[in-house]
Amino acid sequence: MHHSESTAIHPRGTLDFIRRFFANIPLLGWLAGALAAVILEQAVGTSLAHALGLPRIPVLFGFLIFLKQPALIPGALGYVLVSNILPVCIVAKIGAPLFNLLSRSLFRMPIVVTAVVHLAILYAIFHIWTDVSAYRLIMLKLMLISILLTLSLNVINGYMGEFSCSHPGFMALGAYAASLFTVGLFVNDRLFGEALLVSDFAVIFFPLGLIFAGLVSALGALIIAIPSFKTRGDYLAIISLAFTFIVKSFLENLEFLGGPRGLSGQPDWSSLPMVFIIVVLGVWIINNFVTSTMGKALNAVRDDEIAAEAMTVNTRKTKIIAFMFSAFWAGVAGGLFAHVIRFVNPSTFGIQKLAEVLAMVYFGGLNSVYGSIVGAVSISLLGEALRPLEILKWIIIPLLLILVMIFRPRGLISFKEFNIEKLLKPRG
Amino acid sequence: MRTRLMFGLFLCGVLGLLLTLSACGDKDSEEAPRQTMQDVIRIGFPIPLTGDIPDVGESTRNAAEMIRKQVNDAGGLEVGGAIYQLQFIYDDNESKAESAVSATTKLITVDEVLAIIGPQASKQAVPAGGVADNYKTPMISPWSTNPNTTLNRPYVFRGCFLDPFQGPVAANFVTEEFGATKAAVLYDIASDYPKGLAEYFRKAFEDIHGPGSVVAFETFTTRDVDFSAQLTNILRANPDVLFVPQYYNEVPLIVRQANSLGWNKPFMGSDSWGSGDLMGLCGDACQGHFFSTHYAAAGATGATKDFIDGYQAAYGKTPDDVAALTWDSVNIMLQAIRDTGGLSGNLSRDRDAVKNALGAIKDFDGITGKMTFTPDGDPIKCAVVVQIDQEGQFSFFKSVCP
Amino acid sequence: MNLTFFLQNVVNALQWGSFYALIALGYSMVYSILMLFNFAHGDIFMVGTYIGFALTTAFIALSAAGIVVLPNWLILILTIILAMLFTSCLGMLVERIGYRPLRGGPRASAAITGLMIGIILQTTVLYIMGAQRVLFPSLIQTTTYNVAGVAVTNIKIMIVFVSIALMIALHQFVQHSKWGMAMRAMAFDYAVVPLMGISINTIAAMTFAIGSALAAAAGIMYGMAYPIIDPSMGILFGWKAFVAAILGGRGSIMGACIAGFLIGFIEIFVATIFPSTLRDLIAYSIIFVILVFRPHGLFGEPYSARLRL
Repeated sequence: MHHSESTAIHPRGTLDFIRRFFANIPLLGWLAGALAAVILEQAVGTSLAHALGLPRIPVLFGFLIFLKQPALIPGALGYVLVSNILPVCIVAKIGAPLFNLLSRSLFRMPIVVTAVVHLAILYAIFHIWTDVSAYRLIMLKLMLISILLTLSLNVINGYMGEFSCSHPGFMALGAYAASLFTVGLFVNDRLFGEALLVSDFAVIFFPLGLIFAGLVSALGALIIAIPSFKTRGDYLAIISLAFTFIVKSFLENLEFLGGPRGLSGQPDWSSLPMVFIIVVLGVWIINNFVTSTMGKALNAVRDDEIAAEAMTVNTRKTKIIAFMFSAFWAGVAGGLFAHVIRFVNPSTFGIQKLAEVLAMVYFGGLNSVYGSIVGAVSISLLGEALRPLEILKWIIIPLLLILVMIFRPRGLISFKEFNIEKLLKPRG
Repeated sequence: MRTRLMFGLFLCGVLGLLLTLSACGDKDSEEAPRQTMQDVIRIGFPIPLTGDIPDVGESTRNAAEMIRKQVNDAGGLEVGGAIYQLQFIYDDNESKAESAVSATTKLITVDEVLAIIGPQASKQAVPAGGVADNYKTPMISPWSTNPNTTLNRPYVFRGCFLDPFQGPVAANFVTEEFGATKAAVLYDIASDYPKGLAEYFRKAFEDIHGPGSVVAFETFTTRDVDFSAQLTNILRANPDVLFVPQYYNEVPLIVRQANSLGWNKPFMGSDSWGSGDLMGLCGDACQGHFFSTHYAAAGATGATKDFIDGYQAAYGKTPDDVAALTWDSVNIMLQAIRDTGGLSGNLSRDRDAVKNALGAIKDFDGITGKMTFTPDGDPIKCAVVVQIDQEGQFSFFKSVCP
Repeated sequence: MNLTFFLQNVVNALQWGSFYALIALGYSMVYSILMLFNFAHGDIFMVGTYIGFALTTAFIALSAAGIVVLPNWLILILTIILAMLFTSCLGMLVERIGYRPLRGGPRASAAITGLMIGIILQTTVLYIMGAQRVLFPSLIQTTTYNVAGVAVTNIKIMIVFVSIALMIALHQFVQHSKWGMAMRAMAFDYAVVPLMGISINTIAAMTFAIGSALAAAAGIMYGMAYPIIDPSMGILFGWKAFVAAILGGRGSIMGACIAGFLIGFIEIFVATIFPSTLRDLIAYSIIFVILVFRPHGLFGEPYSARLRL
């Protein structure tokens, strides 16, 4: 969009002022502000809510109250302002010089250390925020998992430019494989009998189970990757759709996994630290993958396969690796998902799931790690926040998506590289 | 510039719409805010209002609202000398397992309900039951037949009978009544309830008539409408009776298609046939067939008749099995709350008390039969076999008790 | 497998395949000419069925009240014509709102828009009609004829014949009329068509109108064959039509028809020959294998750069 004289009109000026006012705050400052806000909420949230006439702390930034109990809107708004917005802004702004100082000294260390410090604060925020309400916890876990799922689909649909409909299938394979691993080995169960390994520390094997889940899906992905040598675009889209149907029907016929009744009794191992660490690891690895030469090869295959071949890109190898890599993470997400819900059945992984992931990818933005995070977070949040609207929710969310598609056909934040250094650098 | 302005305008429009909607509010919001924690009993309903089976959610809400109005209009629910108003909170589980988990968690931890009624379908009830048991909140799923819903979950109960009971009821009935020696089954493989029932029917029937007496065991997938291939197979196997443990909205298609392929022998159905809509959808084609269910609507007396008449008056249609089971589940929950002899206001202690009271209820006189819970939380109750008579009424034929 | 049994299944598959073929036809029109995945098509089919339901109910009520007494066959014909008309308006509206603003954008975005329009249509119908299923009024009494042991109903015969007639009519239109030529030109080269003085917008609107009209016709026949309708009945048809349209091959509208019948036959015969629990597994594996060996569909053109998303 070109800049013209008209951008200097008044509202734009206010926005600009706000942007400039907060420009000197590094990410560390924002994180510290959020940390302060959640600690404040934990300490005095309940009494603050009572003082404002609310029966309890608004769990979802007041959304559920806005839609359900209009009489309490002022109280909820006040609460959000006092306990969420103000502390974040004030702490971030006032502490800006200090955080910049800290940020600068952190920045001199290796980037990994800097990132880990930021992530640790982020985790602390999540931990305290979800401590207030179990509902926040379950929502946050599902949201983090959908980030991983969306990002892994973005590898194929965004970076490689195919229209793959196979993700529910990959997720199902991962969910069942991880459940088989944990339920079969560690839980006394009707289907599989006595636990083979009983240990109080069995949870440390969970990552192994997730890797197993990822590998099973990656193997499944070979079924699609090999036809993709010759078949592209639309034809591959229905090959992948057929794959989803085949996986679902296959699982329905596997009586030892419960068939259509599903498999339940997974141990409660998808705790917040587990989900957080796995998802962060996943995002990190996927980001490295797509910014590596491999990622450039994917883009080359997307933009022109023949030209890519001529430029010494091994297109077959690229496709196989991309599909298997993407399926691996979809499988891991499926494994986490199965252990959050603690139940899997084949019909969870059908058309509805497909529409959901596709919406997240295209809403957030193609070819972009930021986009996938934004897409997954906003669709999950909207889905929860608008739940009280019941049926109208399914008019508002699609409408919003159509508008985004019309005005930003490639999604909200597309084709933007996820630059950790730029994100974490001190500002001023 | 223009597009950005348009985008902004559209967003404003959507937000405006949202706010208007919220300002219009919903019915129970007027009474909700001004009540303190003391004189309200909150019960949560994580039910499917959108998604695959919105009709199930609608029936649940209809039946529950009837009870709520009745109790609140009569002044409220008396528990240990104190009077409480009922507040029912309905949350949409979108017919998805993950949404059922988050909706149930929200009801238990955010809305701080005393008890949960629902979810209905097993694929939501199994995971939601795990959540309810985890937070030690009593829950009754009126409609879920999957054993895992209540298995090893002391806080979770169900309102319907289980497949191991209903399957043999149907098998015995077709043997005695039609003298059937060969039976066929047509069911939806992707759905919990039909599959479980079909398998128990086959087992029971083959126990009586020997292996291979179920000559055709055909399946389809949820949302299929064409059963001609399966029915052609069934007709070729020439059974004496066709057992169809399907929902009332699929039954008419199956019956009509079977008739048009030349089937003229009896059908046997299960409690999922039991909706007034069956006759509206099926017309004359379903007359004369039998199904096992909870009560006979024709000639019903007492509470059952009151329920059917009240439902008809309020919503203009006859209740289905979901509504009847929800009605009983809510009432049994209210009975258990009354049986606690008084609520302390301490939520976890009260939830515990309600759970213990539920387990202690003996011979609860519901409209779907007398109910007592087993230690697993499954009800012991009788089934009746009804015939669809010439007027399209479900008339009593036979009663079978465990 | 004896002959009667085989023929019975052929008859069954012909009826079932007709629906897939008709719906795939509309899907394939949009797909071949505008290169769009019209994921809303299944729901347009659903709305068409509901419009048919509303019209039939209205006509029957008018007849019953004695205001305008019409014979059943006339009601049927009127319903089909009016429903096709209304549904084609809906199709054009969908094109105008959901697809035209995205022309020139990535095709996948249009696919997402289609998905979302589909959800909005479902929700709207659910909102208006309530969650209960409704019974499509039967205008023609079902009569079963027994031809050498094969059961055939009058509705089956009508469905197969009307479908084939519509397909032939469309074929004639596309191959021999001026508009049809413009459509084929557009399918052949998107960029050059405007230079020839043909408005892309007109052709796009017309494509959607014809596709939706066919969906409405399919919807009414569906209502007669499987008279219980609900707002989410279009989802599965939409996705299967998607499979059929692409399996037929881009640029081949008739290919979609044949693929539609093929899917119908595969589904019926797999359920007949194998245990029916394995139906989806085997049916989709067959489609999978077909595409592996014919990577451009049954009648599609070989790889072209324009197929990319």
